[in-house]
Amino acid sequence: MIPGDPVSIALGPRATPEIQAAYAAKMHLDKPLIYQFLIFMGNVLQGDLGADVFSDRSVTTTMAEQLPFTVTLAVSAIGWAALVGIPLGCLSALKPNTWLDRFTGVLSVGTIAIPSFLVSIWAILLFSVTLRWMPVIGAGESGNILDQVHHLILPAFAVGLGWVGYLARMVRASMLEVMGENYIRSARAFGLRSRTIIFRYALKVAILPTITLIGIGFGSLLSGAVFAEIIFSRPGIGKLIYDMVLSRNFPVIQGAVLVTVGLYVFVTLIADLVVSWLDPRVRDSL
Amino acid sequence: MDTKNLLEIRNLNVDFKTPRGRVHALREVSFNAPKGKIVGIVGESGSGKSTVIWAMTQLLAGNGVVECGEIFFNGKNVLDFSEDELRAFRGEEASIVFQDPMTSQIPVLSYSQQMSDIAYRQRNKSFREKIEHSKQIMRKVGIPDTEQRVYQYPHQFSGGMRQRAGIAMALLMNPLMLIGDEPTTALDVTMEAQIIHLLRSLQEELKSTVMIVSHNLGLVAELCDEVVVMYAGEVVEQGDIRQIFHNAKHPYTQALLECDPARVSNRARFLPTIPGDLPDLHIRPNGCVFAPRCKYALQRCEQDRPETYVIEGTHNTKCHLLDSSRDQFGTSSTIERQVSKTETYDSSLKNIIDFEKPPILNVENLNVRFEIMGPLQALLKRNGKRFVDAVLNVSLHLRQGETLGLVGESGSGKTTLGRAILGLVPSSRGSVEFDGRLLTDLSESVLRNLRQDMAMMFQDPIGSLSPRKTVGALIAEPFSLHNKEKKNLEEEARRLCDMVNLPHSFLNRYPHELSGGQARRVGVARALALEPKLIIADEPTAGLDVSVQGEVLNLMRDLQARRKLSYLIVTHNLPVVRHICDRLAIMYLGRIVEQGNGEMIFQKPAHPYTEALVHGVPQPDPDKRRNLVSIEGEVPSLTNRPSGCEFHNRCKYVQEKCKTLMPQEKVLPDNRTVQCHFPLIN
Ligand SMILES: Nc1ncnc2c1ncn2[C@@H]1O[C@H](COP(=O)(O)OP(=O)(O)O)[C@@H](O)[C@H]1O
Ligand code: SF4
Ligand code: SF4
Ligand SMILES: [Mg+2]
Repeated sequence: MIPGDPVSIALGPRATPEIQAAYAAKMHLDKPLIYQFLIFMGNVLQGDLGADVFSDRSVTTTMAEQLPFTVTLAVSAIGWAALVGIPLGCLSALKPNTWLDRFTGVLSVGTIAIPSFLVSIWAILLFSVTLRWMPVIGAGESGNILDQVHHLILPAFAVGLGWVGYLARMVRASMLEVMGENYIRSARAFGLRSRTIIFRYALKVAILPTITLIGIGFGSLLSGAVFAEIIFSRPGIGKLIYDMVLSRNFPVIQGAVLVTVGLYVFVTLIADLVVSWLDPRVRDSL
Repeated sequence: MDTKNLLEIRNLNVDFKTPRGRVHALREVSFNAPKGKIVGIVGESGSGKSTVIWAMTQLLAGNGVVECGEIFFNGKNVLDFSEDELRAFRGEEASIVFQDPMTSQIPVLSYSQQMSDIAYRQRNKSFREKIEHSKQIMRKVGIPDTEQRVYQYPHQFSGGMRQRAGIAMALLMNPLMLIGDEPTTALDVTMEAQIIHLLRSLQEELKSTVMIVSHNLGLVAELCDEVVVMYAGEVVEQGDIRQIFHNAKHPYTQALLECDPARVSNRARFLPTIPGDLPDLHIRPNGCVFAPRCKYALQRCEQDRPETYVIEGTHNTKCHLLDSSRDQFGTSSTIERQVSKTETYDSSLKNIIDFEKPPILNVENLNVRFEIMGPLQALLKRNGKRFVDAVLNVSLHLRQGETLGLVGESGSGKTTLGRAILGLVPSSRGSVEFDGRLLTDLSESVLRNLRQDMAMMFQDPIGSLSPRKTVGALIAEPFSLHNKEKKNLEEEARRLCDMVNLPHSFLNRYPHELSGGQARRVGVARALALEPKLIIADEPTAGLDVSVQGEVLNLMRDLQARRKLSYLIVTHNLPVVRHICDRLAIMYLGRIVEQGNGEMIFQKPAHPYTEALVHGVPQPDPDKRRNLVSIEGEVPSLTNRPSGCEFHNRCKYVQEKCKTLMPQEKVLPDNRTVQCHFPLIN
């Protein structure tokens, strides 16, 4: 199926056929494929992702070590993107065709178009190499929060930048639509303050499609994080997959992919839950 | 300004800037709203009624400008208000009940939140006190169980209840003036009657001033004290309700009143219409705005703008006919007009129902059952029902050349029944026989062929037409859909255009360029394309103005007489039904509760529900006001059918027996069937 027989990779070229056969039996590699899959899934359900072929460490442990780094990166990237992008989108929807709106438009197209690995490389060149404000690699000394935050800034910036534009455009579009709805006009006709109308009425409706989008877009966010981890040499699932693919450490790759997929499903679910919490119509149709 | 008046609008002019130039939406509009009275503004769509409201609250769309004029409210000119003064004015002094409660209430906030937001000005009140006050107002407008309902969201309310909540929100700050913009247009007649009654009793209780904007003459006659009649952005006549309804002077007012099918009792006649279209408001008219459509137009009407002539008291009108000195000018000869084609129906053409042949459509015991949740969901919600019966044991028949009206409140299953007859929704039991063939066993491909003989006319013609196709392509579309290779589609389109009296120049237009009546004509032409024998029309005149509604109905009757068509008309509009239908079937919760000759049913309803519906229509005559609401409550949910007679919780004549025993169908001497233990006639 994949080039590189797992047994010869694990045991090296000098293993005797007997040792190879014994290893294959231990790992169930002699069984039919469907059987291998069932065994694997059974183990997964018990929290056992198998063992590293080289060190024999439990893959579950490795994942538990690496996952927090990736999650921190992804969450801080989307976090800063939302903090900047959503207000930008709101403002440009409220004042369409002003300089701010045009600026946001250009910025959005720009940030969406540049791939995050390019941003990463430029950011390293500018802030780490030329200005020397930021560390180049790693995730910082463990236990030293400040140092870790310091190491997080550049990768989070690089991964989140595209999302700023994306979110700003999305929020602008749905905000413009919502501001034209009848219920906004009726809120005005009841004499509500514009603050209330914008933040309590319009934004609450306009944010719903954005949340769903973030949930669905989490996959591409993760792939952005993979590049960033490789470029910044940060620990994390992405970096792990990259290293393990180079060494063909299949159980670890398998575990990492499975954890990533699980994470993706989990985030989509969270997004749906948030939407149904905010929108009573969705809540009632469940 | 006169202190008797709460509102005085003087010489108001409003323009909208559009890419094609300025639309002069309001021109020289002046009228008063006396304190403590109910003022009605009537006019067809596009006459500028809503624009008056939005100008008054300074909430015109972004492209709207008040060119000149004054709007005095309680002695102050609203147009001079600062932003803060305006905010205090809106909701506190003048408050609006909106047309469509579905779209005008924010879906993501509960009523408690929405109402406490409106009450933000009462800083001395705590949130709890605001909620208590909201509940009190909700009780006042007739919302039950306010303890729970105040915490619910708009989608959890039925249409009628939502509009009540809309009224509650408008009343919350105890405004001096309550404004209703078509407050009942989105509702059923039964709900409409309840809301009219509610508005009137609230006004009596609160002594506030009310302004109601509506195109519904019956509603205005029943509710208002004063009337302002608008046409194409101008006030053409105003006065006391009786003066307007019994002694209208302006030719437009007269024509509008004549058109209303509720006033036309003679069934055999074609309905009166107002020929012609609304003028293009991009051009300021030189003379009278109504001149192009006026039967009595004088030579001078096209050049001179008529001034306002006072007839008596507050009754005045803008029409040259009222100029007592006009004969001195020697210009009183009316203009000879070419009678437009729409008026020339041959009324000698009588519709003949073919009683010799067996009925063309025979429906026996038809049932439609919808699955509302999957088996898993039903397991999760233990007491939830998986299925609802939208149509239950329906039997009806229709002869060639006959028109059957299917009537009921929304949610009664009318549309589903129509679609089930066409096989567009699957039926779970029963049979449909059309033209001697049993449709319920036929395969989809045979059915497709048969469907050429039965066409559907849809409710929303513009929405159901593809916006990128020309009218010509749309009219010819049924040929290609049914693989009918007609040699000359263009010729066919022209032929169909002639049939529905649409000028050939329309063939190259797009649906959005059509007016409501023209779009309906395209719908009729499409339905007729394959020369069907049966047309099922879903609300054929919904959303049309009365003057245009007549045109569509006349056309349908004319075509029926010429081509021996059978119609199944699905509607909740009773005056229309009375005018066009031979027989009626009244539906309630998916069952037919009464069926028989239309005229007899109208004169003497046998089922209490029919009676309630017939009496639910407000009459366009201020002397025929109803004092009681004919039917209380709302249609129950299909998942929760009442026991016994399913109408018993709303029936005025309910007896003990009704609550437990389901009535059997009875056949009355005049051949009508009714499902009631105690029919109103025997
Ligand atoms: N935002 C707008 N832009 C351009 N024209 C408009 C706008 N709003 C209303 N109009 C035009 O103004 C006229 C009056 O409209 P409206 O007040 O809505 O009438 P009504 O409420 O009587 O149906 C119509 O011709 C309509 O097309
Ligand atoms: S002024 Fe002339 S055109 Fe206008 S309504 Fe009167 S008679 Fe008709
Ligand atoms: S059966 Fe009884 S409750 Fe039902 S409609 Fe007749 S009188 Fe009313
Ligand atoms: Mg309107």
